[in-house]
Amino acid sequence: AGPEMHFGFQSVTEEERREKIYQVFESVAKKYDVMNDSMTLGIHRLWKDILVHKMNPSPGTLLLDVAGGTGDIAFRFINYVRSVRQQQLQRKLKHHQNLSWQEIFESYQEDKLNSLGDSQVVVCDINREMLKVGKQKAQQLGYSEGLSWVLGNAEELPFDDDKFDVYTIAFGIRNVTRIDLALQEAYRVLKPGGRFLCLEFSRVSNPLLSRLYDLYSFQVIPVLGEVIAGDWKSYQYLVESIRQFPPQEELKEMIEDAGFFKVDYENLNFGIVAIHSGFKL
Amino acid sequence: VRCQHCQPLRALQASAVLRRVSDEHKKEPLTSSSQQQFDSHPTGHQPEQDPQGPRPSYTGHGGQESEDYESEEQLQHRILTAALEFVPEHGWTAEAIAEGAKTLGLSVAAAGMFHSDGSELILHFVSECNTKLSELLEQEQKLVQLGEAEKKPIDEFLRDAVEARLRMLIPYIEKWPQALSVLLLPRNIPSSLNLLTSMIDDIWHYAGDQSTDFNWYTRRAVLTGIYNTTELVMLQDSSPDFEDTWRFLENRVADAMNMSNTASQVQSTGEAVVQGLMGAAVTVSN
Repeated sequence: AGPEMHFGFQSVTEEERREKIYQVFESVAKKYDVMNDSMTLGIHRLWKDILVHKMNPSPGTLLLDVAGGTGDIAFRFINYVRSVRQQQLQRKLKHHQNLSWQEIFESYQEDKLNSLGDSQVVVCDINREMLKVGKQKAQQLGYSEGLSWVLGNAEELPFDDDKFDVYTIAFGIRNVTRIDLALQEAYRVLKPGGRFLCLEFSRVSNPLLSRLYDLYSFQVIPVLGEVIAGDWKSYQYLVESIRQFPPQEELKEMIEDAGFFKVDYENLNFGIVAIHSGFKL
Repeated sequence: VRCQHCQPLRALQASAVLRRVSDEHKKEPLTSSSQQQFDSHPTGHQPEQDPQGPRPSYTGHGGQESEDYESEEQLQHRILTAALEFVPEHGWTAEAIAEGAKTLGLSVAAAGMFHSDGSELILHFVSECNTKLSELLEQEQKLVQLGEAEKKPIDEFLRDAVEARLRMLIPYIEKWPQALSVLLLPRNIPSSLNLLTSMIDDIWHYAGDQSTDFNWYTRRAVLTGIYNTTELVMLQDSSPDFEDTWRFLENRVADAMNMSNTASQVQSTGEAVVQGLMGAAVTVSN
């Protein structure tokens, strides 16, 4: 046996927890996106948009998206960087008023080849099934440039120190068994000056809203899970794990413990979801 | 679950970027007005497990820790100073800050510490210029006190001070209109107003107690008016070395000097006008 941990509202050992969580995501992988849309009524897309907007990545940024499974954050990052790059190029062209048509054509060509401005995103996930779904999505949607997929454990990342500009973990840290290790790893692989961003379900402080939220979570979501994905238990786990996860202030302290500075959080939808941000200074 | 194993690890972890202050001869952080944007950590969060803390306590009343490492604010100042070099090309934007961070060996993501509209960068710049102006005026005053320079007449003093301060804008003049509009955002007005008034007060302080008929508020208002209008003129000036601007400045200062002379005249004229109006009112009511 090992130290007692929670798996939703159950009590399990560390090993058991890891295994159970792996099985959860193995089973939901194919329906992951559909379930996200139905559970959150599509709002999760906005949350992820806000995360990337807050990141405000400039071209040349190297992003590590951990527990990035089906690639939602990665694709948004690529879109964002591409449009920023477009604006940059347009501004450059405006400055160069006296170029000949030939020169303009040539600079346009070489910039087209570098439409992401050397930005890159590495999607890292512990679960093979989730990565598979992500890669398929990327192919379908036409994302190829600047994207790589790595199998890895957030508690022990297969990357060198000081590598990445930004580390994101969206709706993933809840499922990590040793959160402190994951935070330390995040600190390790970030460059000095790099940013840690975490998007996760959090505590709703408003009592009325909290009651409605609980009602929705425990009555509606597992049913949706059964109907849409044929898997009641996994979604029961999901809802319970949200309740077990530390609230905003506590997570903030854990992030600070890992060595991050300027740690702050922003509540979305009254605390249903929160974005925590910290810098490696 | 908060892990108890964390404690020894954090003690060993040195901050990746915040440097030891003893390693370099750093100046003390700048005036607090420019730091209004920077949030300050509640010092209460410092947990017990803090031996040779890698975390600096930058409220200034820590023990040895506060002297060992630069604070976050000092680092932010460094980044902003480095970013100024990129303003002519990128404007007062997060891009300039990102480039600045790069030159310090930091990730471009460090620009995320600041607002994306460049507010902090501009406020930092204004604060730096004001500090430079103060130093300049201080030095001049020293020279006068040592008898190595003549004390300037008030109008010349004001002219030179305003010109010196406005000249600091020249490298950034193209992007300055953008900066002005950002300074006027409601969020920034308290800080920018604060910086402006302290600069004006500074100039008057070094101008010394010269006899003008202005009281303190009038002095402030007059010089602020001169400064702001000259600044706007400068933005549209295309003459060589901004000579049109300096001529405009000269005229405005002269106007102000004349105004003090006619102040008493205006007062008596004012009284006469009021009496005339009173008389008219009485006549009409009858």
